[in-house]
Amino acid sequence: MSTTPHLSVRVRLPLDRFDLDVDIETTHRVTGIFGVSGSGKTTLLETVAGLRRGAKGTIRFGEEAWLDSSRRHWLPPERRGIGYVPQDSLLFPHLDVLENLRSGRGRALRGGHDFDRTLESVVRVLDIGALLGREVNTLSGGERQRVSLGRALCSGPSLLLLDEPLASLDVGMRRKVLPFLYRVQAEFALPMLVVSHNPVEVQALCEDLIVLREGHIIARGEPRTVLTRPEVFPLAEHEGFENILPGHLVETRSDASMVRIGHGADGPVVVVSRSHLAAGSRLLLGIPADEIMLALERPNGLSARNVVPAHVEEVQSIGDLRLITVRVPGGAPPLVVEVTADALAELHCEPGTDLFIIIKASAVTLYEDRSGEEG
Amino acid sequence: MTETTLEALKTTLMWASLSTVLVMIPGVMLAYVLARYDFAGKKAISTLFSLPLVLPPTAVGYLLLQLFATDGLFGSETLGFDLDVILTWKGVVIACSVMATPLVVRTARVSFEGVDPRYEDMARTLGHGRFITFINYTLPLAARGLLTAMILGFTRAVGEFGATIVLAGNIPGRTQTLSAAIYSAQQAGREDEANFLLGVALAVGFAAIFITEYLSQKQAAAGLTRR
Repeated sequence: MSTTPHLSVRVRLPLDRFDLDVDIETTHRVTGIFGVSGSGKTTLLETVAGLRRGAKGTIRFGEEAWLDSSRRHWLPPERRGIGYVPQDSLLFPHLDVLENLRSGRGRALRGGHDFDRTLESVVRVLDIGALLGREVNTLSGGERQRVSLGRALCSGPSLLLLDEPLASLDVGMRRKVLPFLYRVQAEFALPMLVVSHNPVEVQALCEDLIVLREGHIIARGEPRTVLTRPEVFPLAEHEGFENILPGHLVETRSDASMVRIGHGADGPVVVVSRSHLAAGSRLLLGIPADEIMLALERPNGLSARNVVPAHVEEVQSIGDLRLITVRVPGGAPPLVVEVTADALAELHCEPGTDLFIIIKASAVTLYEDRSGEEG
Repeated sequence: MTETTLEALKTTLMWASLSTVLVMIPGVMLAYVLARYDFAGKKAISTLFSLPLVLPPTAVGYLLLQLFATDGLFGSETLGFDLDVILTWKGVVIACSVMATPLVVRTARVSFEGVDPRYEDMARTLGHGRFITFINYTLPLAARGLLTAMILGFTRAVGEFGATIVLAGNIPGRTQTLSAAIYSAQQAGREDEANFLLGVALAVGFAAIFITEYLSQKQAAAGLTRR
């Protein structure tokens, strides 16, 4: 596997209410920038893209200098080799879907890419084959985002910049588009910078998360760990904190599906609402932190379908809330459980405690990759 | 119907077309600059290029006459050679071009202002330089408005009278335009001829405005779906 080029962004840019002032070095393949709206995220992304002038400092990607204000050096956006996916898609209204996808063909060819092959795999991965002849103003929001993502991928970029890829979509549409983003992340070996205020999105996509508040970095690290920090959690909780775990489908019965958590064969199996996917398909599970219950002993006579043994790793206090990080067997990422201070006091749980987590089947959201679906 | 009248009709359409072409290229470029950039003196330039819209056309013609007179800024004494503008077809084309400029620049500017500059940003992130972005993205997105600008400029040139008659005169068979021919026919009492020319003027004007109405409606519809 090739190493990801080094991205370094050290910029200062005066904005209306505060200065954007960041110093980011990353070699992670997918870096997220998280923050509430108005925190300077989009400005930062536009500065990296070369769409916003006036920043002082340096931006480097791999061997190239994109900005070096001390040397009065500024590389225009067309020479940065980026794939930019704005929040509102910005598909060219005078071109149809295929023409939009082909609008970066010249750059792709100059960069030595096999355009037709890229187009073919982009169309397959994003499942947009049926849309190619359509006028862009007839597309739904989710379709527009997929075409916009496809257009960027087809242009042969060396860095993908995503600005709130799911923000303009309603909840149902987000569930449909997120798996496509996840597939792009998995199938195209492209470094990505993702701006988002959606905890689900950043957990599903990012390896490294940077939290921005009023133009400054306030936290950075592995997404789940960062999102549960006391200074960050209130920002994430605004959207409802959801644990995002990888899994794969074991089997589907008449009324429900069984999903094994984690990539391995020894993760716990949970019952979820019925999926249309074939057995063995990979998917993402979303489990809201406040929908998980804790029990010190395996409960009897319970309507909830899933009781999974777990081990407490960490207990954090944020105001009246307690966040308990637990690990389930099988090497899956830890889960965060949100309980009140009173509830925790009764449980007497602390790092090291073994207990059970209880999850209702209906509380689990499946972020399914529907592109392989029949019919 | 005299032969010179038909000749006036033919040459008017030719001169108006030539004027439109001459105005469109720099006019569209100026309109784009006015729509997209802020710079010192922008308002002054914008006002200057709108002046022919509000000045009496004969005043514009007289100003042009001064400029192209032998001792004027573009006269033979200043330049060292003769542009041969006064009382020639070149004078007609220059007068028509100057009078059509404000309509072209103002209409084109509005249509560029209606194109979201973020589409241009988008095109540039896809590897297109400024020029290709302008040609392949900005121009097509502004196309309907630019076509309207061209039609308005053309009809203004066809109907030009005041500035033309001062700079180029009204010489049948040489510098006589459609509007001057109507004037001459009416003055000389050649009613059939005047009526015929009136019909032509009505047809050209109606067609032009009808097309711009149609285009602006389509543009409005496209603008709605885009948002």
